[in-house]
Amino acid sequence: MTHVSKLMHLIAASLIACAPLISAQTSLHADERINGKLVWQAFEPQRLILQESSAVIYTDGRSRIRKVYGIVVSREGHIVTKASEIVGKKNITLRIGKNVYENVEIVGCDHKWDVALLKVVSNEHFTPVDFTEASEVAQGYWVVSNGSASRSQRRVRVGIISAETREIRSTVSSVILGVQLGSEKKDQLQIKQVSKESGAEKAGLKVGDVLFSAGGIKLTERSGLVKAMIGMYPGDLLSVEVMRGDKKISFEVELMPRTSGPKLTRNEQMSGGALSLSKRRDGFPRVIHHDTPLTKESVGGPLLNLEGKCIGMNIARASRVATYAIPVRELREIVADLRAE
Amino acid sequence: MLHKKYIPQINAIFAAVLLLAVGCLCTVAYSEVPTFNYQKVPKTTQDLIAIQDALVENLERVRKATVSISLGEGFGSGVIVSADGLVLTAAHVTAAVGKELTVILNDGTRLQAISMGLVSNTDAAMMRITESGDYPYVEINKNNDYRLSHWVMALGHSGGFDEERGPVVRLGRILKDSETTLHTDCKVIGGDSGGPLFDLNGELIGIHSRVSKSMEQNMHVPMREYIKNWKSMKEDEFLGDGPFAKRPVKGTGFLGVSTTEIDDGLLIKKVGKNSAAEKAGLKTGDLICKVNDRKITLKAELKDELKQMAADQTITITILRNKQLEKFKVKLGSK
Repeated sequence: MTHVSKLMHLIAASLIACAPLISAQTSLHADERINGKLVWQAFEPQRLILQESSAVIYTDGRSRIRKVYGIVVSREGHIVTKASEIVGKKNITLRIGKNVYENVEIVGCDHKWDVALLKVVSNEHFTPVDFTEASEVAQGYWVVSNGSASRSQRRVRVGIISAETREIRSTVSSVILGVQLGSEKKDQLQIKQVSKESGAEKAGLKVGDVLFSAGGIKLTERSGLVKAMIGMYPGDLLSVEVMRGDKKISFEVELMPRTSGPKLTRNEQMSGGALSLSKRRDGFPRVIHHDTPLTKESVGGPLLNLEGKCIGMNIARASRVATYAIPVRELREIVADLRAE
Repeated sequence: MLHKKYIPQINAIFAAVLLLAVGCLCTVAYSEVPTFNYQKVPKTTQDLIAIQDALVENLERVRKATVSISLGEGFGSGVIVSADGLVLTAAHVTAAVGKELTVILNDGTRLQAISMGLVSNTDAAMMRITESGDYPYVEINKNNDYRLSHWVMALGHSGGFDEERGPVVRLGRILKDSETTLHTDCKVIGGDSGGPLFDLNGELIGIHSRVSKSMEQNMHVPMREYIKNWKSMKEDEFLGDGPFAKRPVKGTGFLGVSTTEIDDGLLIKKVGKNSAAEKAGLKTGDLICKVNDRKITLKAELKDELKQMAADQTITITILRNKQLEKFKVKLGSK
């Protein structure tokens, strides 16, 4: 009897010892998956470019929790990043390579593309990304983006070009005028409040004005105003007529980006990762669509091909299966325009 | 630096030996497992390019055979596997045997289709395009030679059909291979259901079924499950007992009319509010002539015919209205 029970113990012990081995064989180790550590090692040449030519951007002062990434676009320290993640933040600092730069200026913003141009105030020379000359990207090709970042190291995340490069229309109006209207039916078109620093304030709209028309269409209810703005981009001008007393006055109002993102669809809620989607993830004139699993904190940086050339700028984490990037042709124009301003 | 140079060579030799061994065992000609699938992980840019080349070489062809399936409410995906329009998809997409569906090709062409047999416990289903044509199709991997760690690509119309975007391709590896489920890190989402998973020879190895919240848990029905049940599915059989499709129960279908027998046939006296009959457009005063192919003149005959039907099944009712015969398709409600 003792023999048998001893034997049983032995068998049991050996089974336990075997268990991790068996499970290791039946599922692929995390390090060997498409975004596993060992696969990333093959992307070391591209990682070295992210190390020198991507910026980690912080908006929280000294605690330095990454808000978003950026791309170094000039030797003098110009950096582009995702505007909606940093606009209104006072304390912008960033890291390139191992160094932290605390003196950072916002040079300008392109609200239509959601791109901000920053400038590091420093005498150092930086290494800008090398933009590809090819204007089109083909589906199925590897792309490399910023993944996580430590103080000294940038890491990669990889994927492939997934679908046709195209416009992503806004599902809801992605812009606001910057006014609050009355709540009662009879005064629903009367301006009750004008938001500070909004396009409406800059144009000269005042509390008490009654909206008469927007985009040439006469308004009878507040939904008409929302309709007039669908398909328009931040930075676009909307012609607005208001009644001020007996006088009809016309304004050109620069539209501002909405601060809240589109509502989560059922598909987005169901399939996980909803919390990591970018708030501003639609309303782009043209984007590259790739399958790299980024988060809202890891967009803003360069999208590289296997040659290490920059083919775009990651601009939004859009769903469980999609990340969008501004194509290089448009990105160069945006950078040139913002630098010229 | 030197040692790095030798690694690919050693790998190449290793792979060649393996391929030779497989070649001896199997006399039937078939596409070989690509060399990179014998590498634990890619090591160099060249290794990455080998994966990319294989994917790109097959992508255009398999994209053309990837279709969107419109369910009226919601979308799924599918893949054409024969020139005359046989389509493989998921059981939770078709949900029933003999259901009319619309297949959408990449250029936006909409085609009538009908669901065939399905395996409700593993999520496999078949359907066919009922309009004749010469459709682009893909080959099925019949060798069952897809293994853990192999590189694969998932296609599908994520979130529904979008002509400008086209089908979406994602790259990943096989993470787990159980009898009736393949797990990969190709991320899929609603609308991809029923879409194809390919090896990098461009042969079909699976159909997208479900995901869990983790990005790494994407589940597909392996092709062997389809091959095993091929004949039954072609013969419109409903296999298994869920959970991916509910077996229809005869006699649960509800039309929602009250009738009276008159000399000419069966007259509709009343149409129930929100009933299947009302939704299909039947009206008080219509004379029922036929249900499917059966002539109807008596109440008992209508009752008998409906007894054979289950909720959600579609019947064709021929009606005499204003001296004209009209056919109505009615999707039955449940009792």
